[in-house]
Amino acid sequence: MSLRLVVNGEDRVSRAEPLTPLVDVLRDEFHLTGAKVACREGFCGACTVHIDGQPVVSCLVPLGMVEGREVRTVESLAAAGELSPLQRIMEEHDVVQCGMCFPGILMVLTSFFREHPRAERGEIKVALVGNICRCTGYERLVDAAVALAKRS
Amino acid sequence: MAIADPSNVTMNLPRRDARDKLLGRTRYTVDRMLPRMLHAAILRSEVASARILKIDITRARQMPGVRAIALSEDAPGMHGIGIADHPLFASGVIRFHGEQIAAVAADTYEQAQAAARAIEVELEPLPIVLTMADALAPGARLVHPDWKNYEVLFEGGARGGNVAWEATVVRGDTEAAFARDDVVVVESCFRVGRQNHVSLEPRAVVASYEDGRYHIETSTQVPWTVRNMTAKLLGVLASQVHVTVPPVGGGFGQKFDCTLEPYAAILARKSGQPVRLVYSRQEEMLTCLCRENAEIKIRSAVTKSGDIAGREAVVLMDCGAYGGEQIFLTTMTAHTLGGNYKLGSVKLASRAVYTNTPPNGAFRACNGVYNTFALERHTDEICQAMGMDPLEFRRRNVLGDGDLGATGQVFEGDVLGPMLDRMEKLREASHSKEPLAGGRLYGRATVVGTWFIFVGPSTATINLNADGSATLITAGVELGQGTMVQALPQIVAHELGIHPNDVIVRNADTDAAGFDLGVGGGRTTVSVGAASLAAAADVRNKILHTASELLQTQPERLVLRNGRVEIAGIEGSGMTIAKAVQHAHRLTGPVVGSGSFTNPGVPAMPGCAAGHFIDAIDIPVFNVHDCEVAVDPDTGHVEILSYKVVQDVGRALNPRAIHGQIQGGVTQGLGYALHEEHTIGEDGCIRQDSLETYRVPLALDTVPVEIDLYEGAPSIGPLGAKGAGEVPILNPPAAVACAIANATGCRVQQLPLTPPRVLGLLLGREPAVELPHIKIVSQLAAGLPPAIDLTPFRADRF
Repeated sequence: MSLRLVVNGEDRVSRAEPLTPLVDVLRDEFHLTGAKVACREGFCGACTVHIDGQPVVSCLVPLGMVEGREVRTVESLAAAGELSPLQRIMEEHDVVQCGMCFPGILMVLTSFFREHPRAERGEIKVALVGNICRCTGYERLVDAAVALAKRS
Repeated sequence: MAIADPSNVTMNLPRRDARDKLLGRTRYTVDRMLPRMLHAAILRSEVASARILKIDITRARQMPGVRAIALSEDAPGMHGIGIADHPLFASGVIRFHGEQIAAVAADTYEQAQAAARAIEVELEPLPIVLTMADALAPGARLVHPDWKNYEVLFEGGARGGNVAWEATVVRGDTEAAFARDDVVVVESCFRVGRQNHVSLEPRAVVASYEDGRYHIETSTQVPWTVRNMTAKLLGVLASQVHVTVPPVGGGFGQKFDCTLEPYAAILARKSGQPVRLVYSRQEEMLTCLCRENAEIKIRSAVTKSGDIAGREAVVLMDCGAYGGEQIFLTTMTAHTLGGNYKLGSVKLASRAVYTNTPPNGAFRACNGVYNTFALERHTDEICQAMGMDPLEFRRRNVLGDGDLGATGQVFEGDVLGPMLDRMEKLREASHSKEPLAGGRLYGRATVVGTWFIFVGPSTATINLNADGSATLITAGVELGQGTMVQALPQIVAHELGIHPNDVIVRNADTDAAGFDLGVGGGRTTVSVGAASLAAAADVRNKILHTASELLQTQPERLVLRNGRVEIAGIEGSGMTIAKAVQHAHRLTGPVVGSGSFTNPGVPAMPGCAAGHFIDAIDIPVFNVHDCEVAVDPDTGHVEILSYKVVQDVGRALNPRAIHGQIQGGVTQGLGYALHEEHTIGEDGCIRQDSLETYRVPLALDTVPVEIDLYEGAPSIGPLGAKGAGEVPILNPPAAVACAIANATGCRVQQLPLTPPRVLGLLLGREPAVELPHIKIVSQLAAGLPPAIDLTPFRADRF
């Protein structure tokens, strides 16, 4: 059987079973390995993608649920090869360490800033509560996000 | 602070790997895929202690997609650190819940799992040795009845029964000190649980078998350990194992050992196909090589004027079913619990104890974190008993220039004293956060810590290329700490007068780079850095000699700067380095240099230390941390109001990157202090098997750490640097525990300080930790025979 969905603006067809977690389809079938599998239980947020613009942990979404819907992954953030403002500010502030959590954090903050472009520090931290980062201790990446909010 | 000014080695050079990590393009081991790649699954024991009667793979072998099954006969060797006590697969006996029995490779992971489940295993249950108290009880069942027959890989440790290893320190006469009539004796007991690393990238490997050699691509901190250990377990030559390391998604010490690589290697050879093995989060939670649970009894004889005349302590470290890293880590008690302070006399025993629980391992500032918690709480208990000010007591007693450490090494330079002064300034610079406590209990503490750099052998090779760039080849690994993309290129670039961006850093590859101890213990900037600096100096010499002939100028008058070989003092003179290299190609051949480093070795006092892998520390690293807390008296919840760090960094090569390490390390330490803990059920299984039940710090749990980098302390590291990534985690549990004790007036003896535990303390319902199985007895005072728990453990007693 096959199932259609839109991934990063492209029409794609998956041959996986409808109960296959979306993250496995993205990584194993479409080779979009930006979304990370770190817990498979929805606790770490590293596999966050957008479905119709909303951030979702893709380990808990069966493929069958996204038929015909639009999925965006971290690979889509730098349209035409240009870093998004959020990616750029994270790079400028040198906040990345091992980097495994960043795809999820970027997807969460991208959709958060769309709705709250001038968010305060406390609001940004609340937005990140579903993303585990084991390296950075959060504060410096929050500093970068605050700097971005101040620019807008 | 200059940004990327190549004339100055100190700069906030940004990470070169950040962009791809932000784009989602970085390919970690978990992202690797090869044509025909198989997927592996491990069959694990679901009991903690049993005899294996039968393993039957007949049915599993016929399952769909199955290509190979590996069992204990495929891995005849035993591995370990100090003692080779650990087989790859449970062999005859199960010793912990989760122990590996078999490994299966199949076309899909689901098929591999199904086949693993289809393996028939017949077991006869055996009693479980669950706790260290059980293990040390008279007549306890031995976890390793054959311990005497194991190969000893490092001589010197006392062993016996369930004591896998004992390291002891005896300096001076503690008995006499405790018998003095002008001392106050203070005794304290502490207990801590296990901490899981929770690296976001789990342990992962892809192995192939090609041309008679194993190629192991793995998420590790120690490529050379993986090479040598895999060979030992498989019974092949180490030269038949080739290890490469993609970017690693976090390690924190968990990946400082060879663990899952041999399973994939065996399956790759048997199937003739590449094999991927990635541990699930549940496997990572249940069999993580955790920071070990430990029990500490410590007592001190302190004079009325506040000198520590004598100190005695016993530390029990649970190594789980196999000795592993804990055998080595018994060493660290001398330098952590025995650190920080001037001691008139000292007697320490540090024991790794076997239990039927999952083996433990290395975790950032191993052993030091809980021993520093114990030492600093004990110090505050001394101050309370003597009516002394904790800060004054520390000022008076911290190690300074010429003072003796526990094993009699002579410390160089006054460091901790001036760092305490710097912390005072940092405290004065910002208002106390006490008003934020509102109606809650407020407490504050300033604590000190001693850690070290795990130096040891490293090597580097540099090719100076005809385009003026340099290629640095080492076995270093980028885990996220930044050394490979920041400190190392900065060090090499500085020596060669080029920009750090023109230093290409090769990923670890044991076929390309020589031996290295691995990335851990804060050693990469120091050891790999020193080897890289030596290699760069070698290359520098060679290119200066080549240019000297062309420029008709003595090499001593030439300098390398801005990518040029210039005559000193004449900017723009000479030629580009690229041109000089091109000349060298014609005259003497390509320009290549090499460098090696190992620790020079600092002497301990002869006869002080027994069973130690490191008698004295080559590069001490010091911390002063300060913390303010608010404790909710109704719920026991603890809020961190402020956190301050003064850290000894030797010389800060990349201050911004060090700040990142401190913020991250302190946060991990706060997690251990407040809510991270693995506990073990009656069945020997770890109770927290997911990130739902094991609580790591989230964004709302953190505070911005105020940081002051202390430079100028003596260091043999390159350009005076010390490792800065490991030590930030050393002190947070000590700082938090002391602050909570100050806030509540309660005797804080355990970590983590969860709300139920703190509330229990406030209500007087938390049982005191007494550790009756650890005896510290002053035989003179009690008129007893020698205190057996502090004499060196003698194997012939068993």
